[in-house]
Amino acid sequence: MINLILVSHSEKLATGLKELLAEMVPSIEILVAAGLEDGKIGTEVSRIEQAFSRISDDALILTDIGSATMNAEMALELYTGKHTIRFVDVPLVEGSFLAAVLSGQGQQIDQIVTALEQEYLSKEKTN
Amino acid sequence: MKLTVEALRRALLATADAIEQQKDELTDLDREIGDGDHGINMSRGFQGVKKELEAQNSLTDLGELSKLVGMTLIKTVGGASGPLYGTAFVKFATKWKDKQSAEGEDLFAGFKEATEGIKSRGKSQVGQKTMVDIWEPFTAALQTDTSLEKVIDQALADTKAMVATKGRASYFGEETKAVQDPGALSSSILLKNIAEVLLHD
Repeated sequence: MINLILVSHSEKLATGLKELLAEMVPSIEILVAAGLEDGKIGTEVSRIEQAFSRISDDALILTDIGSATMNAEMALELYTGKHTIRFVDVPLVEGSFLAAVLSGQGQQIDQIVTALEQEYLSKEKTN
Repeated sequence: MKLTVEALRRALLATADAIEQQKDELTDLDREIGDGDHGINMSRGFQGVKKELEAQNSLTDLGELSKLVGMTLIKTVGGASGPLYGTAFVKFATKWKDKQSAEGEDLFAGFKEATEGIKSRGKSQVGQKTMVDIWEPFTAALQTDTSLEKVIDQALADTKAMVATKGRASYFGEETKAVQDPGALSSSILLKNIAEVLLHD
């Protein structure tokens, strides 16, 4: 089952989201790469790399803002492991909800990425 | 103008000291229009670089040196600056691989690649009040006879007058006008130290 990696500035935000997703799809494997030491706010490459080392299948990364995205892309470029990891730049909460459900239905990484892109990136911005 | 391994090493050590001196200024600016950690993050990163450089005396090519610095910054700076500065140095390494020094077109190619790397990593362009607004004019000036230090000072003044449209500062909109961008200031510190070794060696 496709794993989800949640990259956020806030560990509380990411673990809260993980709880929310586990309620929808109890079997989903979610890794949190969020915050800094001592509960500080921020993102860093090493936490994302640690999450990469713990995935059990192909995985999808979702991020909150700015540096979370840059650090995720950086970590992805440095990744040399055996799984396919994809990053898709969609809203964290909504995107991970859809991804969790699709993963629970047994969809593969490419299908999930395509679905997320269609849902969140192909529409015109309304704001 | 020629950049040797020894000169780049010296410029980086001088940058580490200068960042240390301006650490509070960088953090205060970031507190105004960002998340208030730029000085702390850059200090941690460049102290990390200093430690690596002092531990390794055997680096003989610019590619190796740039890669070491890039990876150290990626691992130690964190936030947005880690991947941005890290990418710049990793990009230097791709253009200066196996070179003991770079001048003329080689020198320009390294900075061009680094600037493009920063833009691509940050999905940013000129005029958004970011570090790109220092790197881009500096790189362009390498192909002209203009004084690099003057170019950096002018770029800093121009950047200060801009309204931020990228990154955390963009949420502050018009309030960012007349406040210096902390990433632009830290970039000016690094590039001035590089200009110094380019011009006076």
